[in-house]
Formats: sequence, structure tokens, C-alpha cells
Amino acid sequence: MSQHWFWWSLTAACVIWYSTITVYVAIKGAKDIKNMLARLDAQSRNEKEVEES
Amino acid sequence: MTNFNWLLDGSIVGLYLLVTMVAGLMVRKYVGKVEHFLVAGREMDVYLGIASLAATEFGIVTCMYTAQNGYEKGFAGATPGILNAVAMAVVGLTGFGIKPLRDSGVMTIPELLDRRFGSRVRWAAGVVIVLGGLLNMGVFLRTGGQFLVLVAGLDVRYLEIMMTALLVGVAVYTILGGMLSVLVTDFLQFVVMSLGLILVTILILMNVGWERLVTTVETHYGAGGFNPFVNPTMGWQYVLFNLMLNTAAVLTWQTMIARVLAAKDTKTGRKVYTRTSFFFVCRFLIPGIWGIAALAMLGPVPDTLEAMPRFLSTFVPAGLMGILVAAMLAADMSTDSSYMLTWCSVIYNDILAPFRKRPWSERKGLFWNRTIIALIGIFLLLYGLWYPLKGDLWTYLGVTGTIYLASISVLLIACCYWKRANNWGAVASIVVSAAIPVSYLVMEQVPSTVALAKSIGPYYSGIATYLLSGAAMVIGSLLKPQGSSREEVA
Repeated sequence: MSQHWFWWSLTAACVIWYSTITVYVAIKGAKDIKNMLARLDAQSRNEKEVEES
Repeated sequence: MTNFNWLLDGSIVGLYLLVTMVAGLMVRKYVGKVEHFLVAGREMDVYLGIASLAATEFGIVTCMYTAQNGYEKGFAGATPGILNAVAMAVVGLTGFGIKPLRDSGVMTIPELLDRRFGSRVRWAAGVVIVLGGLLNMGVFLRTGGQFLVLVAGLDVRYLEIMMTALLVGVAVYTILGGMLSVLVTDFLQFVVMSLGLILVTILILMNVGWERLVTTVETHYGAGGFNPFVNPTMGWQYVLFNLMLNTAAVLTWQTMIARVLAAKDTKTGRKVYTRTSFFFVCRFLIPGIWGIAALAMLGPVPDTLEAMPRFLSTFVPAGLMGILVAAMLAADMSTDSSYMLTWCSVIYNDILAPFRKRPWSERKGLFWNRTIIALIGIFLLLYGLWYPLKGDLWTYLGVTGTIYLASISVLLIACCYWKRANNWGAVASIVVSAAIPVSYLVMEQVPSTVALAKSIGPYYSGIATYLLSGAAMVIGSLLKPQGSSREEVA
């Protein structure tokens, strides 16, 4: 382990960072999708109202 | 023999496919304009961007070539991932190249080049981007099918059917929902893919063990398995070529740039880059460890590309096998959908631009975008079936990617930061950048020039492409008489 500390540290960092970011992105990303679709929906309703008026 | 259980693992895979298809199809109702279809109405936020970028840039093909790198080069095979992460972090932090690009409000890089170098350069840039991109993507399907057939223990005769089924599924939701479907399915695919990658890696570290992985690399490759500079198959030329390749990819690879362009603002685009950068180390190191484990458990095998899936087919237990196959399907589908949409965006926005002197209606635009994606799908099926891959997969991808990465990165940098750059330099750079890698690929296939291609090698040819492409831009621009420059960018 001490002989190849660079690769050991990088492997450990990958497993820890990747596990953490997966959970974090899973929660925050779902919120992003909800907000994105809400904004697009609002945009298309506004455009329809402008067309009708 | 494989541990894939059709009832248990098949159900997990079936459920994943069903949820993805439903999610991909549900968002199609939000697509009313070409801008929604190609850049999701520029409404993408940071975390969705991270999920989408990571899922797009990790396909089965990535897993296969990075595992092959681990199998053939040991830990040193992860060097391109480290270089990629460094390049991405630097570009994200400084905004180099991507800030003026996103600020300009364009949908593709050639559209930006048009403002500085003119419409002919835009068209030529579009052609080389699509040529390099499609040649690159051409091997995705076969490699993906190869993995699934081996892991699930299917007859190799079913490979073509697997490839077709994979592509049709992806094409359906991409054609209907464009970037919106791609982003939503990418998110689901990121979660499933990451779960599979993490669980299998932990299983390998626990059951094969770190000491055995290190001993295997030491036995087969000595110090070269840990240090790319002393590895006889790598050396400084491998590191330099990969540094150039990955920096150019971060700046101009259209599937990466599409996330910056779809971001709701420049700051978001930069954050997506900075925060995803370390993923590119994982992208090489995690499958690399799978490849090293395959070497430890199987020993030398004739086809190094197949070593990792052959190893996993008997190593991963039932239940987890379903998660692994779903993860790899997720990885592949997200990559295929994004790549098809990306090359479609360039064909529509830049190559077809001369045919749209008068703006097309949104309806006509959407029709053509969907048709182009369907045609790309057909091309991929045909190309994937007949192109015989020579050499290792990562090198093939590097060489085909270089067809456009070298010139477009030079053009982008010159366009944003060099006032003297002009269309003479741009054309010279595009020609040089396409000519060298294409000649190299042809030489590799023609029996009388195979030996010469081998003696030059892909790394020297790649380095020469980047250097000469830059030189062509400088010389061409300086040769043109001054006084006819176009609009400045951002």
C-alpha cells in the first residue's frame, strides 16, 4: 500500500467521491428536472397566451 | 457459463428499460421548438448537467476501452483520465474557451466560427465535426453488443440483433424528445450506472483484494504498470498525445460542449465542468481496476477487449448481475442518445445552413432534426457491422476524434483570443487536421502501408496533427492580406 500510495489514494478517492456525488446528484438532479420542466411549461403557456391575444 | 439469471437479473434489466423509456417519452410534450429539441430551451441547471455529462461520457465502449487499458497497461492505463480531469477543471475554473462560446448564445461551435471566419468555414467545420464524430461513434454499437452478449452468456450470433434493439430503443425517445428526453433519461441512467459501477468495484476490491491487483500489475508490467513514462507501450509521446487530445476534447467535443450550451447561463456551464472533472478520473480508473482484476483472475487472453466482460460474467453474482447489466445498458443508452442528438445538431444547424436561406418553420425544423437522427441511427448500424477494428479501441477513438478535435480546438482558441486569425488560417487548419488522421487510418487498412503506419504509430501521428494544425492556422492567417476581418467574438 505504502509503495503505491498514489494509486491507492486515487482509488480510495474515486470510490468515496463517486459514492457521495451519486447520492447528492440523485437528490439535487431530480429537483433540477422538476424546475426545468416547470419553467418550460410556464414559457409555453405564456407563448400561447401571446399568440391568442 | 455466466451468472446471469434470466428471471432475477432479467427482471431488473426489464424494469430499468421500462422506466427509462416511459421517462424519455413523457417529456416529449415539452418540445415545441428546435431550441427545445437541441439545447433543452437552455434551462439545464448544475446537478442535472453533472448527471448528463457524466452519463454521456461513460458508455459501454468507455468501460471496454478503459478496462482494456487497465488489462494491457496496469494502473498507468488510467493516465488519460487524470489528464482529462485536470484539463476539465482548468477550463471550468478559468472559463477558457467555453465562456466566450456560451456567452455568444450559439447552438454549435461552427455557428460561432461563422461570425469570425465566414459561412464556408462554418460548413467545413460542420463536415469535419460530423465526420470525426460519426467515425468515432461507429464502433460504439458493436462494442456495446459484445459486452452484453459476453456478460449475459448469449450466443455471439445474437450480437447484431442486440445492437439493433439497443439502437432502436434509444432512437425512439431521442427522436421524439430531443435534448429534453436525453437529459431526463441521462439523469436516471447516471444513478443506475453509478450504482452498478460502485457495487462491482467494491466487490472486486473485497474479493480480489488490493494486494493481488498490485502484485498482478508488478508481475506483468513492472514499474511501467504504475508509471506511464517508463511503460514501453506508452512513454512521453503517449502522455503528450493524451494531454493534447483531452484538452481539445474538453474545449470542443460537441457532446461535452452541448452541456455548456444547454446550461441556463455561463456560470452554470462552468460549474458543471468543474464539478464533473474528477468523474473523469473515475471513468478511467474504475473500469481499469476491473481490467486488472480480469488479468489477475483469467491470466493472458487472446482478445484483451473481451477479458473484462468474460471475467465479470462469472465473478458477479446473480442479482448484482442484473444491476451491472442495467448499469451498462444505462451507460450505453445515455451515450448513444446524446451522440446522435449532438451530431444531428451540427448537421442541421451548420451543414444544412446554406439550404435555409429563409428560416424554416419550427415544425419543419423539428421534422428535419428527427429525420437526421433516424438516418444517423441507420448509418451506425451499417458502419458498426462492417468496420473491422485494428489496434486498441482507445487509440482508434483518439485518432478518429483528432480528425476534428485538432482543428476545431485551434479554430475556437484563435476565434476567441487571436485578433489576427482569419478564414485562410481556419481552412488550412481544418485541411491539415483532417488529412493526417484520415491518411493514418487508411494506411492502417491498406496491406502495403500497414508496416509504415505501425512504425509511425498513433501517438506521433496525433501529436503532429495538433502541432501542424496550429501552425497551419498561424501561417494561413499571416499570409492573408489584412483588412478583411469579420465580427469580433464576445
